Amino acid sequence: MARSFLTSSIHVLARYTALLGGFVLLAVVIMSCVSIIGRALTVFGLTSIPGDFEMVEMGIGFAVFASLPWCHLHKGHASVDLFQPAFGRHLNAAIDIVADGLMFVVATLIARQLWLGMLDKKQYSETTFILQFPVYLAYGAAMLGAVVFVIVSLYCFGRSIGRAKKEFAQ
Amino acid sequence: MSDLQIGLASFPVLLLLIFMRVPIGVAMLSIGFTGTYLVNGNTIMTMSQLKHLTYGTFSNYSFSIIPLFLLMGQFATLGGMSAALFKSAESWLGHRKGGVAMAAVGACAGFGAICGSSLATAATMGQVALPELRKYGYSGRLATGALAAGGTLGILIPPSVILVIYAILTEQNIAKLFMAAFLPGILAAIGYMICIAIYVRIYPDSCGTRERLSYSERFKALLPVIPVLAIFLIVVGGIYGGIFTPTEAAAVGAACTGLLALVTGGLTWLKTKEAILSTANATGMIFLIVLGAGFFNSFLALTQLPQQSAEWVAMQGFSPWTVLAVVLALYLVFGCVMDSLSMVLLTVPIFFPIMMALDFGMSATDFGLWFGILVLIVVEVGLITPPVGMNLFVINSMAKDIPISETFRGTLPFVITDLIRVVILVAFPSITLLTVWLFY
Repeated sequence: MARSFLTSSIHVLARYTALLGGFVLLAVVIMSCVSIIGRALTVFGLTSIPGDFEMVEMGIGFAVFASLPWCHLHKGHASVDLFQPAFGRHLNAAIDIVADGLMFVVATLIARQLWLGMLDKKQYSETTFILQFPVYLAYGAAMLGAVVFVIVSLYCFGRSIGRAKKEFAQ
Repeated sequence: MSDLQIGLASFPVLLLLIFMRVPIGVAMLSIGFTGTYLVNGNTIMTMSQLKHLTYGTFSNYSFSIIPLFLLMGQFATLGGMSAALFKSAESWLGHRKGGVAMAAVGACAGFGAICGSSLATAATMGQVALPELRKYGYSGRLATGALAAGGTLGILIPPSVILVIYAILTEQNIAKLFMAAFLPGILAAIGYMICIAIYVRIYPDSCGTRERLSYSERFKALLPVIPVLAIFLIVVGGIYGGIFTPTEAAAVGAACTGLLALVTGGLTWLKTKEAILSTANATGMIFLIVLGAGFFNSFLALTQLPQQSAEWVAMQGFSPWTVLAVVLALYLVFGCVMDSLSMVLLTVPIFFPIMMALDFGMSATDFGLWFGILVLIVVEVGLITPPVGMNLFVINSMAKDIPISETFRGTLPFVITDLIRVVILVAFPSITLLTVWLFY
């Protein structure tokens, strides 16, 4: 079955968001190693990268947000499937709607409050301790993953409703 | 309803949602949210908490260790280290009775030293060792059982994702916890090998034999394992030598395994993308649960349930050892149906204060480490007990001709070994604490 345009664009979107997060993760790995080597070679006049801890935090924060949509789209979130066979087709289809609906609500809440949190940080002009990097920018970068998470969870919610319609029509 | 009653009532509702297949993280978040609303009468606190809690959790420096260790495990898989480990263990042990299965367990232990996840260990070692086990005439029951059990060594032997979570929840020192997990992990590997030795003597038909290799061949097989050992020593040595933090160690480990995979040719562009996406999948799963649990636990704290239950248990005058036995038994039962990470996140905030209020005749720090290792072991048993032991399904899916019931039965002796080990570790806390005492 050929995928619809919507389905393939959602997959591409989630995939590239996760890959982007992964490359930031790789960048964190390389940066940490350079910093450690610098710290080990202080006798030769090198130092660790200033604010390396802060960069790890911001980078990983971004990567984690970016991983959420991919995980949801591929049903990667942990759940207890013990009773799935016992529930029957109709109940399972209904449960999928509830589960994906809750996920959509949660994703929307997370994104909305992250946005408000970002505005707070901007208003107080909060910066990180060593790098003096504006914290709201790190929140802003994390918004990317959060927004894609909302889009993907809306799509999954719709997908469950569509499947349930088919199940009940049979 | 009083706040405490709301706290108590939240558990059946949470379990209902979880057993209805609602993703565990989402279930905890929803109940935490609703519960806090019921206690406070409004959502002001929750909403303002949510403004910074999500970003704060996801960018927490201690938690950063998790995606890094996951990436390290992915790279280790691509680097072909599982094959090298199995080959070398097999060349030393393979000629013994049941030796190829013992070698698989030994290789799992070795892989566990550079990988913090049970499923990844079971999956990668299964691919390498299962065909060999079948080739040498090992029964499907023993082969899949040994591999499923061996997979749990991935998380028993540090680094371990569960220990990181436990350390953060209970404010323990991650480095000390890793140290404490060391001897119990070795003990687990030895226990599984003894289990195999006994099993093949009771059922002599369940394994074949193999020629003994010359010592020169054996030492030659050790060479490819050197990188694994080196990476382990760099990561673990770096933490204990005070050269870097556990998070930095994870980054170094990911870099080393990545470089090794690059050298061995496993790290193609396509494979790198796959590794990143698998890491993203596991990262998303873990952090959603961590976030949900954070929310749920702050709701519970609001209802004072953890405090009250700790006081109640302390007042009853139960023997501390009875309480410990009950708690460990509960983990074993729940482990049959729930995944280990969610279970730790859900229960440790409640059980830990209860246990801390009891007197086991050791210091609070020692107790925190010892209890952490015990919890780690009992929740890991859940990975190899039916009906939802994930390792069983991972291994079984690789052996199409072996029915899942055979795998269940094959794992049973190893579960018994696990239980014996728990009893030993409970009876002799010094086994767990010895390494910590020696090195700190």
